[in-house]
Amino acid sequence: MRWIIKRLIIAIFTIYIVITITFFLIRLMPGNFIDMMVYYYMTTYGMSEIEARNTVYALYNVVPNEPIFLQYIKYLFGLINGNWGKSYISNKSVLEILLYGLPWTAFLLSVSLTISFAIGILLGIFMAYRRGTFLDSLLSTLSSISRATPNFILGLLLLYFLAIYYPIFPARDSYDITIEPGLSIQFISSVLYHSFLPMLAYILTSFGGWALAMRSSAIRVLGEDYVMAAEARGLKPGRIARTYVGRNAVLPLFTSFAISLGYMFGGSVFIETYFAYQGIGQIIGLAMSWRDYPLIQGGFLLITITVVLSNLLADMLYGLLDPRIKRGGTYGG
Amino acid sequence: MSKPLIKLENVSMVFEIHTMFGEKKKIKAVEDVSLEIKENDILALVGESGCGKSTLGRIMLGLLKPTSGKVLYYINGKYRDIWSLSKKEYKIFRRHAQLIPQNPYTTINPMRSVISALIPPFLHYKIARNKEEARKMVAEHLKMVGLVPPEDFFNRYSCRLSGGQLQRIAIARAISVKPKFIVADEAVSMLDASLRIEILDLLLRIREEYGLAVLFITHDLAIARYFARKNKIAIMYLGNIVEIGNTEDIIKNPLHPYTKALIMSVPIPDPDIARKRELPKLRSLEVPSLMNPPSGCKFHTRCSLATEICEKQAPILRNINGRLVACHKIGD
Amino acid sequence: MVDRLRTLEKILSEHIYIPLKILAKDKRALFGLFMLIAYILISLIGPMIIPLDLTPNLEEKYLPPSWKHPLGTDFAGRDILAQLVHGGRDVLTAAFAAGIVTVGIGTVVGIIAGYMGGKIDTIITAVIDIFLTIPGFPLLIVIAAWLLQSGIPITILTIAFVLSITSWAGLARAVRAQTLSIKNEEFIEVDKCLGLSKLYIIFYEILPNLMPYIAMNFMLSSVSAIYSYTGLMALGLIPLTPGNWGAMINMAQAYVGTITGAGATYILAPSFAIILLQISLVFLANGIDKIFNPRLREW
Repeated sequence: MRWIIKRLIIAIFTIYIVITITFFLIRLMPGNFIDMMVYYYMTTYGMSEIEARNTVYALYNVVPNEPIFLQYIKYLFGLINGNWGKSYISNKSVLEILLYGLPWTAFLLSVSLTISFAIGILLGIFMAYRRGTFLDSLLSTLSSISRATPNFILGLLLLYFLAIYYPIFPARDSYDITIEPGLSIQFISSVLYHSFLPMLAYILTSFGGWALAMRSSAIRVLGEDYVMAAEARGLKPGRIARTYVGRNAVLPLFTSFAISLGYMFGGSVFIETYFAYQGIGQIIGLAMSWRDYPLIQGGFLLITITVVLSNLLADMLYGLLDPRIKRGGTYGG
Repeated sequence: MSKPLIKLENVSMVFEIHTMFGEKKKIKAVEDVSLEIKENDILALVGESGCGKSTLGRIMLGLLKPTSGKVLYYINGKYRDIWSLSKKEYKIFRRHAQLIPQNPYTTINPMRSVISALIPPFLHYKIARNKEEARKMVAEHLKMVGLVPPEDFFNRYSCRLSGGQLQRIAIARAISVKPKFIVADEAVSMLDASLRIEILDLLLRIREEYGLAVLFITHDLAIARYFARKNKIAIMYLGNIVEIGNTEDIIKNPLHPYTKALIMSVPIPDPDIARKRELPKLRSLEVPSLMNPPSGCKFHTRCSLATEICEKQAPILRNINGRLVACHKIGD
Repeated sequence: MVDRLRTLEKILSEHIYIPLKILAKDKRALFGLFMLIAYILISLIGPMIIPLDLTPNLEEKYLPPSWKHPLGTDFAGRDILAQLVHGGRDVLTAAFAAGIVTVGIGTVVGIIAGYMGGKIDTIITAVIDIFLTIPGFPLLIVIAAWLLQSGIPITILTIAFVLSITSWAGLARAVRAQTLSIKNEEFIEVDKCLGLSKLYIIFYEILPNLMPYIAMNFMLSSVSAIYSYTGLMALGLIPLTPGNWGAMINMAQAYVGTITGAGATYILAPSFAIILLQISLVFLANGIDKIFNPRLREW
């Protein structure tokens, strides 16, 4: 219990730190962010300086000459109330834009993560049982290559070869825009068809890391006395592999969950940009090229919150599965 | 008779631990212990695992600071509390008091070769002027503990050495700074039985040569008896010393009921004698936890002689027939 | 003199010969080492042999590989091999600089937390946990965007420093855990009894046990630095430098729809240059574990 509360506090604190970073990054930006925005509104919309200034103040909740501390508090409350600022390219609410993209990215990443995790642990346990053989060394090599290949490069190669040069898969969008979105088989199959290459890019570049981690974890578990005892009791090898080796070897892998998800989110900026897939990654990519800071910061914040919450979920799962954690042995003490 | 080298006065050690519910619990690992070890003498400290004997050893070495009580060490003609020494005096004490630990496989860093672990003490105390001289001294010390030819061992790592060889290296490392007092914490308990006597004899020989005072910590009464046969034994139970006296007196005529039980539990190889001997009269075989120690005499939950007073009042060490015993029921 | 030679011989055998002998048994690590050396040599010597000519020559665009252009030409008819050879120096410098900074921060922070314990440890552990959860690359994007706006010159060293901000925490956690487990070993107690100093204990007892983690993490943070550095450039987030592999990918991606079959080398060349370097580093990282870990040795 104490352990989960501790994780919860750290999760909230992480989000708080990220909010603070984004706040001060904007405020500390040389050349004053507000002045920059005022200049932008003057040139883009042909407003007078006073007009532009008032617009910007209203948009970003700024009271002129307000102490920075008060601004900070206001910013915090604004975020909690869903006021994440406005994108200055589309003039829409940042949160609205991002929440539109989130489900697509979440779909892409959760499916890819699940599949690569599953492939990884199966391969890993297989390699651990066959350690030292030719097959093990071949699969380890493959896993290392998978782990080493940057996802954005693989994404680009897949796009070039399988969508453009040999147009087997669609090169853009998350579904066929001529189809009406809905729960139709047509729509769902179109979504799956369009997400195949992006997912392949994620899966092929992340199963290797899981496989290598699982392999060394499983080898460690295979050397434990309780596995030998289970073998001596004559339990079926399949059962030992599943309930004794598999279960105990998988647990330590949960700790790398956040890192892996964060890595994939980073990759989504490339992959969704390359495949013109309308998720958060593409939004951030576009925001970058337009230097739309509120949108960039908002995107970063939303990604962080997603990663932190998913990680908290993984931690809780870990806590439920591993009775040792409940005793609070791993932290402090 | 020589004078005491190190004295403990009413030493207690309380650890605070966090339980799973986030509460703090206090563990009295050592409670109100007073004892002394004379120069060039041996005290064997015997007790079940978890009774606080290793903690006591670390307190005597200055590795742990007792929560109350004093550790007095004889420096420059005076007894000084080791926790209020001047820098210079502390350096002397630090050089005098050494440890031979339990697990031979972790007495030297598995990442480092024998020679690189043995050289630094010689240089630190300027016993050797340079590395070359230190190497020669390492060779001498390795020879002294029976590792010949010493050069063969210089560049080996602990994973390429046997437990016996490693324990010899641990002894060499401890005596390299010419100490006066050594704590040997279960120094042979992890070795094969066949090796134990060999290492014990080596330790005894070196003790003789260097004139060392030794605190010999063990859970094995037979080994304590062998090692401290001309000296003293202290019996410890849940943080308290329950009996101290000359080894042969205690073995032949144990007074404290716990000592009796310990001696009875030593297996006898001859089944005829074993069958005839009186079995220890214990009310319970369960050792109480240090977190919830029994009131009064901590042994009363298991003692067959226990009466009301034992539950209420903790006995103090009393002199009975030339030895110290902490029991209400003995000697009345 | 003879003595000196013998010492030199000993140092050579302990630090060069034996590690190489172990590496020689691990074919993948050996491959990684040779590839890494090849990359370094090509980046150092290559630019002197092959000049970089970036004048557009539209008549020669997207040429297939030939003797004149071993890897073909790009969208403006410029030699791809020359760009590839010139681009390596920046990538390797950024990777190793980031590796050094990351390892420096991670090791120092981890040892302080593990060795000091108490409140300092609690605070550092919380900071480590926070940095481990903050997604690294998105944070990098934010910082890069800020740097771009702030006018701070974006040199390779600034980049290396920014890259390490996001990657030190993993090593710090491993170092802390390792320090914690070593700190209570009996050999440390013996050292304390022998009066050996804290610095001795940290440098001679704890650090050697951390070497596998440090060496491995140096390689692995180089891997993630290369990912981030080329990635940021591929996105156009940091100023493109001529020939840089990330810059080549940025261009290739912009032209990806128009590249025909013969021009495929424009995408493939920088992609494989990066992938092969990453693979070499990962192989080497796995091999290094064996060098520093006497228990894994086989004789």
